[in-house]
Amino acid sequence: MVLNLDTENRKMQDGNNDDDFDLEVKIPNSIFEKLKSIEALKARESQMCVSGKDDSIPTCDKNSTPGMITQRSCVYGGARVVLMPITDAVHLVHGPIGCAACTWDIRGSKSTGDKLYKNGFSTDLQEKDIVFGGEKKLYESILEVNKLYHPGAIFVYSTCVVGLIGDDLKAVCRQAQEATGCRVIPVQSEGFKSFNKTAGHKLACDAMLDYVIGTEEPEEEHPYSINIIGEFNVAGDLWGIIPLYEKMGVKVHTAITGDSTVAKVASAHRSKLNIVQCQKSSNYLASQMEKKYGIPSIKVNFFGLDETTKSLRAVAEFFGDEEMIKRTEELIKSEIKNLRDEISEYKKDLSGRTVAIYSGAHKSWALVSAFGELDMEIIMSGTQNGKPEDYQQIRDHVCEGTLIVDDASSMELVQLLKEYKPDILISGAKEKYLSLKSGIPHCDFNHDRITAFSGYQGFINFARVVHTAVMTPIWRLSRK
Amino acid sequence: MTEKKFAVINPCKICQPMGAIFALMGVKNSMPLIHGSHGCSTYMRFQLGRHFKEAVNVASSSMSEANAVLGGEENLKHAIRNVSRIYGPEIIGVTTSCLSETIGDDVEGIIRLFKTQNDDLPEIVPISTPSYKHTHVEGYDSTVKALVENLATPSKPNSKLNVITGMVSPGDIAETKRILREMGIESIILTDTSESMDAPFDGEVSFVSSAGTTVEELKDTANSFATISLCKHANSAAKFLHEAYGIKSVSPYLPIGLQSTDEFMNELCKLTNKEIPEQITRERGKLIDAMIDAHQHNFGRKVAIYGDPDVVVGFTRFVLELGMIPSIVCTGSESKTFVEDIKAVTKDSKHKPVILAPGDLYDLHQEIKKSKVDLLIGNSYGSRIAGAENIPLIRMGFPIYDRVGAQRITSLGYTAGIRLVDTITNTILDRYFDEFGWALDENTEVDHGEFESSNCIN
Repeated sequence: MVLNLDTENRKMQDGNNDDDFDLEVKIPNSIFEKLKSIEALKARESQMCVSGKDDSIPTCDKNSTPGMITQRSCVYGGARVVLMPITDAVHLVHGPIGCAACTWDIRGSKSTGDKLYKNGFSTDLQEKDIVFGGEKKLYESILEVNKLYHPGAIFVYSTCVVGLIGDDLKAVCRQAQEATGCRVIPVQSEGFKSFNKTAGHKLACDAMLDYVIGTEEPEEEHPYSINIIGEFNVAGDLWGIIPLYEKMGVKVHTAITGDSTVAKVASAHRSKLNIVQCQKSSNYLASQMEKKYGIPSIKVNFFGLDETTKSLRAVAEFFGDEEMIKRTEELIKSEIKNLRDEISEYKKDLSGRTVAIYSGAHKSWALVSAFGELDMEIIMSGTQNGKPEDYQQIRDHVCEGTLIVDDASSMELVQLLKEYKPDILISGAKEKYLSLKSGIPHCDFNHDRITAFSGYQGFINFARVVHTAVMTPIWRLSRK
Repeated sequence: MTEKKFAVINPCKICQPMGAIFALMGVKNSMPLIHGSHGCSTYMRFQLGRHFKEAVNVASSSMSEANAVLGGEENLKHAIRNVSRIYGPEIIGVTTSCLSETIGDDVEGIIRLFKTQNDDLPEIVPISTPSYKHTHVEGYDSTVKALVENLATPSKPNSKLNVITGMVSPGDIAETKRILREMGIESIILTDTSESMDAPFDGEVSFVSSAGTTVEELKDTANSFATISLCKHANSAAKFLHEAYGIKSVSPYLPIGLQSTDEFMNELCKLTNKEIPEQITRERGKLIDAMIDAHQHNFGRKVAIYGDPDVVVGFTRFVLELGMIPSIVCTGSESKTFVEDIKAVTKDSKHKPVILAPGDLYDLHQEIKKSKVDLLIGNSYGSRIAGAENIPLIRMGFPIYDRVGAQRITSLGYTAGIRLVDTITNTILDRYFDEFGWALDENTEVDHGEFESSNCIN
């Protein structure tokens, strides 16, 4: 059984805001003039569209054009970001040093306990390993890190060159597991495997399904236990969610994978419900857990007051416990009581401002409702790894006239920002300085943010961060 | 159990392509292009962006599974074509990765042939940077060498000095240029990130490097009267220019602190027959003054220094000048030069540092647990050790992502030395002294006995 939250359709029903918003908005010509002049890039035109004009979505999920400065990362990166927050695991990167050195502790995921996951482990493959194979070095490295740390598990990631030299990751992991007694889990995440790092998310989920989930029993079986899937506790997001459910009488068994341990993930199969936060990385995991263990799932969203409320109610309704439903309503009431006033303070400055989103596919539509609560309007949304269903979601959430763009290059992004002049760009670190250097305020919604944005209080934090970005005097002072 | 020998835990190095991009960012109107899969360019952009707080653009040939089997030639040509047309660079530096090196793409051959078939392409420099060999430091070195190898063209002497800075900050390069100006020496900086990676806000994004060493200057390196490499690990281009065009080459220590800056200035004088101007002499005097003012606080304090080999050697020598003890030095490179240099700069000190080369931050941490130090000097990654052991950390080197101003941190020359003395001393004061500047009893155990007096300042 899959319950879907009936997400509010935010397409504008009346003409209230029409004065502020040009429905005739077009994709900036300058971009297409440039792109059209280049035969090889004509294809990019189809990767952008304007919502509401027709039912189209941008062409997507295609190889990036070589030489464009894509914002995409690799399959290894995709796998690593999903598994990295498991706090008591060693994340051992089998490959040359760069793969580990560049991705070590970049997720911004917080932990209440173990800090082991924050270390950068690498087999540091050398030329002779490339020639003769790196299996022995991998085996010895696993034994070594096990001896040093006695981790909950050792995830072993494959990288580009390992795929080429053909090291048998599975066999080495099996052997090492026998020798150590520690779970040693192969993740076949060769970087070049796919242009879309979502393939890496799936590999990470498969690693958990095949080697972790269902291998241990929970300490207690709570009648109202849930897992929060696709929540990585970036900047402590999880800590804005768990207390709400606990107050409702729901036991959060674990998040997968934010602030989790191997044992918690291993015993996640006894939970009564999965709620799915990042639907990009984890829908697959939820559906597999339903198939394998019969755990139903609900899609949730903790970004914004309304979405948080809906996500709490959905769980209460799922369990159908009258007392819990009552408690939930009281909780919502008491949580929201003072927040509307706080938000209206921020709204004074933010009302009518425009927003561009260029981020992970899930965020590209999951943030839309919350911006409505700040009376802000999304005028552009896009992602580097979108699939048709993601763009469908964007289209269902945004107003008419919103530009939807797939896999924008650095130059395209900057030109779009200059043409559309949003009051803020929501994205990650790679786009941060493209935005700031263009004079467009920026909010990091990715690895580098320092404040939790989830749940009720998180949304106030978010409003403050956006308000800070937009209102800082330097934008006024820097104008020529 | 603290010994380990197989895995690297918390690396003190990055792979070669990172150094290549670093060098190419200092070439005006250039674009680095990594021949590999997306992740290489994306993760390096991420690291460089958060260090420099600048938009960093690195193109990728977007290799996929099919390329891994069939070869990446078509992707590479496609990428070069697109980078040329869209971003209009004057020069593209094509760096390899583990992927393209292992499948054996003949990048040099592909580029040579492609250029003969297309006459509208910019300069294209192939740079071999297999990620499974050496570190980012060698990647930087190979790149500067590849630039001069491919571009240097002898014509008539230009009365300029080639200066290879190594992977130092834009602030360091700006300061080096200022010293050369004060000396009245015309120079070609290899490569100059002082403006491109510390760019003013003007509402524009530059997709190719907005400033830096020009292609013309790179060509002109063959006509300079000498080359000075401030980093011994980045002197391959100097050696090449010497062998190919007979250009004199010197490679002193990175001019950090008093003695190394003295030697650097002396080299400049010897190479140009010029004298040190009054202004610089005054700066030298002020540095000595600052060191005198600070000595009561720093003498005998133990320091652990980690990072790129030449930077670590430079700081090791400098803390010795301050009367401090470099207890542990660590670099990710397996470098004989580093070990020899450390031995040379510590030869007059009774105390011999533990040398970790190659070492990682795990090794460093284990050593620190064995012999407690008072101060850490190195990149942001050391903050975990600093936190765990309650030792202050002065952030130097690359990457520095958790503080602002990495692009402005300067450690080269006398003036920067003054700021370093202040920073080091104030850090010691903050941690080991109370709010009135009185030494805190429990933290004042410095070992004066470990020092001999031979470490003196001339």
